[in-house]
Amino acid sequence: MKNVVIAGYARSPFHFAKKGALARVRPDELAAQVVAALVERSRIDPKDIEDVIMGCAIPEGEQGLNIGRIVGFLAHLPLNVAGATVNRFCGSSMQAIHMAAGAIQLDAGEAFICAGVESMTRVPMTGFNPSPHPGLAKEYPQAYISMGQTAENVARKYQVTREQQQELAVKSHKKAAAAQVAGKLKDEIVAIKAKDGTIDQDGCIRPDTTQETLSGLQPAFDAEGTVTAGTASPLTDGAAAVLVTTEDYAKRNNLPILARLKSIAVAGCAPEIMGIGPVPAAQKALKRAGLAIKDIDVVEINEAFASQAIACMRELGIDEGKANLDGGAIALGHPLGATGARITGKAASLLKREGKRYALATQCIGGGQGIATILESA
Amino acid sequence: MPINKVAVIGSGVMGGGIAAHVANTGIPVLLLDIVPAGAKNRNVVAEQAIERLLKTDPAPLMHRDNARLITPGNLDDDLAKLAECDWIVEVVLEKLEVKHATYEKIEKHRKEGSIVSSNTSTIPLKDLAAGMPERFQRDFLITHFFNPPRYMRLLEIVSGAKTRADAVTTIEEFCDLRLGKGVIHAKDTPGFIANRIGGMWIQSALQAAFDLKLTVEEADAIMGRPFGMPRTGVFGLMDLVGIDLGPQVAASMQRTLKPGDAYLRIYKDRPLIAKMIADGYTGRKGKGGFYRMTKTEKGRVKEAIDLQTGAYRPSADPALGSTHERKPQALLQHEDRGGQYARRVLGLTLAYAASLVPEIADDIVAVDEAMRWGYTWKFGPFELIDQIGVDNVVALLKAANIEVPPLLQKAAGKSFYRTTDGQLEYLAIDGTYAPVERRPGVLLLADIKRRSKPLARNGSASLWDVGDGVVCLEFHSKMNAMDPDIMAMLSKGLDTVKKSNGAFKALVVYNEAENFSVGANVGLALFAANVALWPFIEEGETAGQNAYKAAKYAPFPVVSAPSGMALGGGCEMLLHSAAVQAHAESYLGLVETGVGLVPGWGGCKEMVTRLVANPKRPGGPIPPLMQAFEQIALAKVSRSAAEARDMLVLRPSDAITMNRDRLLADAKAKALDLAENYQPAKPIVVNLPGPTGAAALKLGVIDLVHQGKATAYDAVVAEKLAEVLSGGDTDMTLETSEDQLLALERRAFQALIREPKTLARIEHTLETGRPLRN
Repeated sequence: MKNVVIAGYARSPFHFAKKGALARVRPDELAAQVVAALVERSRIDPKDIEDVIMGCAIPEGEQGLNIGRIVGFLAHLPLNVAGATVNRFCGSSMQAIHMAAGAIQLDAGEAFICAGVESMTRVPMTGFNPSPHPGLAKEYPQAYISMGQTAENVARKYQVTREQQQELAVKSHKKAAAAQVAGKLKDEIVAIKAKDGTIDQDGCIRPDTTQETLSGLQPAFDAEGTVTAGTASPLTDGAAAVLVTTEDYAKRNNLPILARLKSIAVAGCAPEIMGIGPVPAAQKALKRAGLAIKDIDVVEINEAFASQAIACMRELGIDEGKANLDGGAIALGHPLGATGARITGKAASLLKREGKRYALATQCIGGGQGIATILESA
Repeated sequence: MPINKVAVIGSGVMGGGIAAHVANTGIPVLLLDIVPAGAKNRNVVAEQAIERLLKTDPAPLMHRDNARLITPGNLDDDLAKLAECDWIVEVVLEKLEVKHATYEKIEKHRKEGSIVSSNTSTIPLKDLAAGMPERFQRDFLITHFFNPPRYMRLLEIVSGAKTRADAVTTIEEFCDLRLGKGVIHAKDTPGFIANRIGGMWIQSALQAAFDLKLTVEEADAIMGRPFGMPRTGVFGLMDLVGIDLGPQVAASMQRTLKPGDAYLRIYKDRPLIAKMIADGYTGRKGKGGFYRMTKTEKGRVKEAIDLQTGAYRPSADPALGSTHERKPQALLQHEDRGGQYARRVLGLTLAYAASLVPEIADDIVAVDEAMRWGYTWKFGPFELIDQIGVDNVVALLKAANIEVPPLLQKAAGKSFYRTTDGQLEYLAIDGTYAPVERRPGVLLLADIKRRSKPLARNGSASLWDVGDGVVCLEFHSKMNAMDPDIMAMLSKGLDTVKKSNGAFKALVVYNEAENFSVGANVGLALFAANVALWPFIEEGETAGQNAYKAAKYAPFPVVSAPSGMALGGGCEMLLHSAAVQAHAESYLGLVETGVGLVPGWGGCKEMVTRLVANPKRPGGPIPPLMQAFEQIALAKVSRSAAEARDMLVLRPSDAITMNRDRLLADAKAKALDLAENYQPAKPIVVNLPGPTGAAALKLGVIDLVHQGKATAYDAVVAEKLAEVLSGGDTDMTLETSEDQLLALERRAFQALIREPKTLARIEHTLETGRPLRN
């Protein structure tokens, strides 16, 4: 087995879809600026890159036409660098990392750009022409269940109260705001050049969020439910990228190694409670790494919804103090295709920053799946 | 000089409303207001006015995009832009010195030949023009709009001795043709026409209610609906327009009316009114008015003020016997205090109106029109006198010791209006009858009906020869609900034109009721369903589909001309017309899902084929279905003809008429235009996604049910609709014909009409006029 490392991480600022600062930026352009910056910052010789693997949940419209290849052109990567698009919904760009790791094990390349992007402004979450299989939609409607409903289902099944969800949301905003003020997000963010100026700050964080402000909101998905717009991650525009290489290559070329991949896993679960997907996925990954949850020092768990993040942390026994140190998706935003690269890159950076040994990055996926990556300090 | 650009000075409620309505015609407007002291944004006042226009309900703008035609500015920096404007409307404070200062600014910058008008309601033109340069006086007149300018038809024009005639004509034509206003020439007298008489009506109703110790509910029940006056009655109306307006109007009347005027004689200050205003009880815009809604343990409760004590109490149904009387004559003869109230208020108001011709207007027609258009009275004062009987009114006045004005004496034993040889005539001030003249280009079915016999008639519809080879199909069923008789008359109309050997060239579907049609007669369907007369319902649906199909593919043009609501089956008539000439105030939509049905006379078919064939639509099979589904499932009704264009209920080739009185003439012209070398529409086929599309449409419904925004039965209806719109069992590689879509409509409609919950919805809607959410 070869050692696979994360040798760089960068992302765009994240902004609210439609009303945010990135609304008028095309997703291919957004991703290309992040990829170009990652290449520049890591000082990798771009011709050594085997492939650009681009995660995207709704790869159509401006995100279509194999955006992985388009981004290579836009980022002025050498023509020998290939490009692919991968879709595992919210897990897309973590999947990109897993695919790179697999390719490396097969001796099919030494260096990969594993990126992800979503403009939820410019490509709607259902796509432009949602075309479900009518038979499946009838016989097994959960296959197409809306994400909000799954969050309600998880809240009910795992008895996560509205107050608990709000508490997580408040903390997420507080942590993200503190990190922003302390400049802890600065290094990972690539300033995006847009027609009307440069965007270099996250736009979704609301430091003044409180239990009181949140308790005034109406349930967003179920009149009798507990999940509100304030305890769900917002529709977001953003892109993220990590550089995945063999440890040998990184050392040979003096690349800044953030962490080593220890184990990976994906797992399916019932689609109507898709939010619980990180539990089986993380358990598999832990087992493969020969670790127990208590061994994990840093956790990045995607907050698609507060209800599912809480349920997963409880089920996995994650110590809240180790999770999402700089805030999670409820505060930062969740551009579907970009989140996997963000939380994996973030977990790797945190291992280094905090001087810790093991990190877990994990997220739930629409349709009933989870994905997990365990990293160790290199 | 044509009017291509307008400036409105003053962006308050009226100024903003006028600017919005000019924008509704597609003409750019400059909206100027002051720079507030210390303001960073110097256009803030006008900009906020435009923002307010977008939020106001009912909407002053016929389409949100019209706001872009209004350019905000300020009276310090932007006066030079007045040089681009052909018409400058002043809507600033009702203070002479403020207006004069504004005119001086305008005068420095406006171009030669531009027209300036004031929207004043209280200051005489002679005072406004006094001391102004000659050029200004020649180009100056009063254009008095009523609030809200989009919806109130009346526009009073007052010109001065020096106003040039062509300036008056230009404004009159613009306001009539473009703004769609009912233009009335008023004289330079206090309150002009409508507010002069309306002021007397309100004041006498107010004073008499205090004097006769009526409750506000009793007063409003009497001085409202029975006489074709607004349902709100006078107290409800004052709540609506603002009680604080009353003393302002009274003050200006006291300042400008000649001593001894009847208004001044009956006017009294009422301490309660002054106290209400002082305490902020100015009506709906304030803490409450004569009525208010109060939150209690039992929910929101309507309260009314006790005029004698000033205390609020729960609103009660009027108890007086007279308040249950619906017929004007019977009400006027009633012995109780209510009858007394009606005699006093109506006596004072009608006598006042009769005493003011020709002082305020040249003839009674102008007065009647002004009250109908400006105060939404169903009948003007002279029409009302005719209804009650001139001699009855004279007797009533004598009994109440009210002076009988000379004009009323002249009418003794006669009426103010009569019909001679099919021509409507009115009593002129010299005591002779003169024909009621319509403006050039105005064509009213009412006039045609007065002078001719229908080509055919049944209980629900008639055919009229409206001249130049055009037949008009008029609906006249209750609320113009579509029923088998209307369908039969449509078929007869099509036959009449077809078999006329070229004598008739086109059919226009038009009527002069408040609403073109509120939809199919679902009461009939309910009755048939209750006795399981399924074949009757099935035949009714098929007959409707066939009649509409015949209209669409007729070898001559069928042009529909709606005004007001055209819903459900009424809207489907428009969808099957070669062209639509819509009144700007048309409210169109397919609303069948509200009663648990899907459009069954080709409405689904037309919307799907239109939206799929729309060259401007987004790509892929699903987006056009989504739009059709959202519009029909949510029973969306446009709030103007302009909005109906967005829905594609009106096509780009359909046209809009601003002035209601010109709708028939425009529709007729459109029909004749199309009749030249007419080629009927060709049936089209579309590729629809079938079950995949239905599955996509249904996904959204599930979420709406969870969110509590739709009921489980809404989902049942929506699913049936989804199946029709997506083409049933088809596949996107196959073509679907219009007939196949019609068959799908029939299948869905017939399934739903057998559902108890659909029948419950129909029953509830018929009883309450509201949808049932079951």
